[in-house]
Amino acid sequence: MANSLKIALAGNPNSGKTTLFNALTGSEQYVGNWPGVTVEKKDGILSGHKDVIIQDLPGIYSLSPYSIEEKVSRRFLVEEGPDAILNIVDGTNIERNLYFSTQLAELGLPMVMAVNMMDVVKKNGDKIDFGKIAKALRCEVVGISALKNEGGMEAAEKVVEMAKKAVVEKGPGKLPDVPHVFSGSVEHAIAHIEESIQGKVPLRSIRWYAIKVFERDREIIKKLEIGVGEMKHIEEHIRDCEKELGDDAESIITSQRYDFIKRLMDKSLALNESRKGKATLSDKIDKFVTHRILALPIFILSLCVMWFLAVAENGPGTVLTDWANDGFLADGWHVPFTTHECRAEGKYKGMEFEDAQGEFAKQDASKSAWEEAYLEKINEGKSDDDKVEEMPEEIDEKVAATIVAKDVFVEDEETGEPLAKECDCENCAKKRESGEECEGCGCGCGEPDLWDVDFAAYKAAKEFEEPDLKQFGVWVPGLGALITDALDKAGVSDTVKSLVVDGAWGGVATVLGFVPVIFIVFLFLAFLEDCGYMARVAFIMDRLLRRFGLSGKSFIPMLVGKGCGVPAVMAARAIENERARRMTVILATFVPCGAKTVIIAMFSALFFREQWYVAAMMDVVGIAIIVLGGIALKKTRFFAGEASSFVLELPAYHMPTVSGVWHHTWNRLKGYVLKSGLIIFPACVVLWFVMHFDWSLNLLADEEIEKSILHDLGSWIAWMFEPLGFGSWQGAAASVSAEIAKEQATATLGLVAANMDGATTGSHIQALFASLSDFPKLAALSFMMFNLFVPPCMVAIAVTFREMGSQKWGWFAVGFQLFVGYVLALSVYRIGVLVAGGGFGIWTALAFALDAFCLWAIFRPARKERA
Amino acid sequence: MTLAELKEGERARIVRVSGEEAVKRHLGALGFVAGTVVRVVGESYGNMILAVHESRIAVNDATARDIDVDAV
Repeated sequence: MANSLKIALAGNPNSGKTTLFNALTGSEQYVGNWPGVTVEKKDGILSGHKDVIIQDLPGIYSLSPYSIEEKVSRRFLVEEGPDAILNIVDGTNIERNLYFSTQLAELGLPMVMAVNMMDVVKKNGDKIDFGKIAKALRCEVVGISALKNEGGMEAAEKVVEMAKKAVVEKGPGKLPDVPHVFSGSVEHAIAHIEESIQGKVPLRSIRWYAIKVFERDREIIKKLEIGVGEMKHIEEHIRDCEKELGDDAESIITSQRYDFIKRLMDKSLALNESRKGKATLSDKIDKFVTHRILALPIFILSLCVMWFLAVAENGPGTVLTDWANDGFLADGWHVPFTTHECRAEGKYKGMEFEDAQGEFAKQDASKSAWEEAYLEKINEGKSDDDKVEEMPEEIDEKVAATIVAKDVFVEDEETGEPLAKECDCENCAKKRESGEECEGCGCGCGEPDLWDVDFAAYKAAKEFEEPDLKQFGVWVPGLGALITDALDKAGVSDTVKSLVVDGAWGGVATVLGFVPVIFIVFLFLAFLEDCGYMARVAFIMDRLLRRFGLSGKSFIPMLVGKGCGVPAVMAARAIENERARRMTVILATFVPCGAKTVIIAMFSALFFREQWYVAAMMDVVGIAIIVLGGIALKKTRFFAGEASSFVLELPAYHMPTVSGVWHHTWNRLKGYVLKSGLIIFPACVVLWFVMHFDWSLNLLADEEIEKSILHDLGSWIAWMFEPLGFGSWQGAAASVSAEIAKEQATATLGLVAANMDGATTGSHIQALFASLSDFPKLAALSFMMFNLFVPPCMVAIAVTFREMGSQKWGWFAVGFQLFVGYVLALSVYRIGVLVAGGGFGIWTALAFALDAFCLWAIFRPARKERA
Repeated sequence: MTLAELKEGERARIVRVSGEEAVKRHLGALGFVAGTVVRVVGESYGNMILAVHESRIAVNDATARDIDVDAV
């Protein structure tokens, strides 16, 4: 690729740059970060031109250093130097867009200007004279419509042609023909500067450098190492201009650029006068969306839609998650919208799976009830020691013939009561459908379903085997099943099988299992962003968030955080104010992410069935931490001072394209999927290892987990969790493994609790918490809140460190999050215990002391602003 | 007078932009330079949506107070 041509794609935000980039490069894109900074860098190969790389620069307004994006872009353009520039310009807002174009032209590189949205320009009845613009800016100009895929490729081919020609012509130092846009005295000063910096910069970009020196751009002046005497001389020229024009150098350049564009537009742009000053459709929509009263309800409504789509019970998010977890990644799934009749020969042939399960439950109940009755009979009169406890192989036919188990029933899972009868008569079916009690038709419907089992019925019942889901309907095996099968066929040892299936795959599958929820959140947000609404959200929320030291732009990372904390932290880059950006990074991950939702769901199901509000409260607690944490942080010396300005372009509303939304969603989702491979995979292998081996490296059976390395590791740090009510090796191990990936807390808890009494994993966990505390519900709540609100998973922590820009700030963020999580769990447990009558202890005192400290941090008077 | 004193629908010509250097530079790039005419498209609690050239720029009250204008 060394010889390939590099074409930089540059333009304002919302100029259709991404659409054009996707159209030009198709799927051949490589997304990375610019060296040293975390601004996204996208490279792609131009379709049909293997030797041409299109480099997508961030959307920016100017080459002055305002945001990180602008700094990165200009460093790339002037230092690395692409072979040519493809400048995309919004034809419906050409005056503003040309401000950036004039700066690009000064770089002296071959340039093609693609004037986008020509379809809208034509529809509006406006006319743009490309010839005059081309002449004035010394570049080629073509009209395109990226959205309709018109003209983009032609523009790209033209720029490739120019770049190739320029490569051929590249001779030693040739002064480029660049536009001169400034007034006499300014041009005079610039000419002087050019003279003094000659030889220090590439000749083709000398004018750009000279203008930057005129603007007193510190970065450039430092780089050029202009001597003191020389600089004094230059400074004189600049001051002369400032005196003459009555403004500072930078403002002179800015306004003269706009003057130049204004004169150019007078010649080359014919606006349809009838449209002038009229409210556009976007303005009309904004009347409602940014309305002082309606704005908030509209926003909350859109959040509710997102919440429903992603995490509501029976919403698309949960349905897809169930499918991914139980089907696609595990045993397999039924093709939807097909009948699930049993294909295999045998007792269930032709039955639906649910009916087959019902039938099996009945037969199973018959079997155990009869066996119980039989054992009771043969144990009659025997002493306790002689009693037969298990069903003997040989059944005494004579005794058996006399045995009839009476009133056998299937237990209702929730109540333990016998299941009700359901008859087939028309009357009852109708009533059942409308949800009424079914009575009165005399068929016995709704009464407890009881029956008797004799020996013959028992023998028949024994024939029934549990129905195998795979034999019903069209069954597609899942990845988990396929891997297990493949390992079985390869004949690997059980250890290897356990490593692969339980260790590596298990970990990766738990992460991938949340892709549906996160995908839906990101898809919805990509839609809101691409249609233009998200910019309005930032505007609406700014007034509110400013009070907590944040910016309106902080809201987007927090919304992304509902899906996954990793892209959320990265989304904070868009915030220019450093204090607000750092604070956003620290606080954004307090929003319970997709993985944390799993912890919430499991604990709600196990411990808070009657307290339905606990699950919803966790989101509220997250928001409360952000608000109160913001207030407290703002009062520290690190974040003191006002982030006073807010400036944001609101793009016109438009219908997003499918491919645009898809690219946007995938870019965010990709990070999440990659993390499962790069970080979760090895971490899970390690976790599996410490769980299945002891210190002498003996492989342990599942029941022997108390001999494992994990047990010891957990025991060593268990004391830290003692004040929180779950100070056992199990609680410690689960909390630590949650740092790999939050959902791992539930999986580890299930494994480490396996030795507790109980029939199911759920009851193991309940038993575990009961053994830990006299107030198991409070201990469970404390465990859940601890894991939700301490630092996020290690991938998010790594990204936090990177985005914070220094180790010091990284540790500050993690320390703050750890403090919040610990204090919250401690307070909930210890004060909860006190209220529940469990008494006052040293930890209760500590909880009150820390809470008092937090309240002080929140309510103390604000620091005086530094002047 | 400053931009903050304008009401919805009113137009004004920018006289000067003051305030923090970086923000001023950014506003300049967006078209907020002396001589440009802006129109208030919407206003909510002092925060404003402004029409500058053909784009819509949202600014908060503090930023609006940093922009001096003349009535047109």
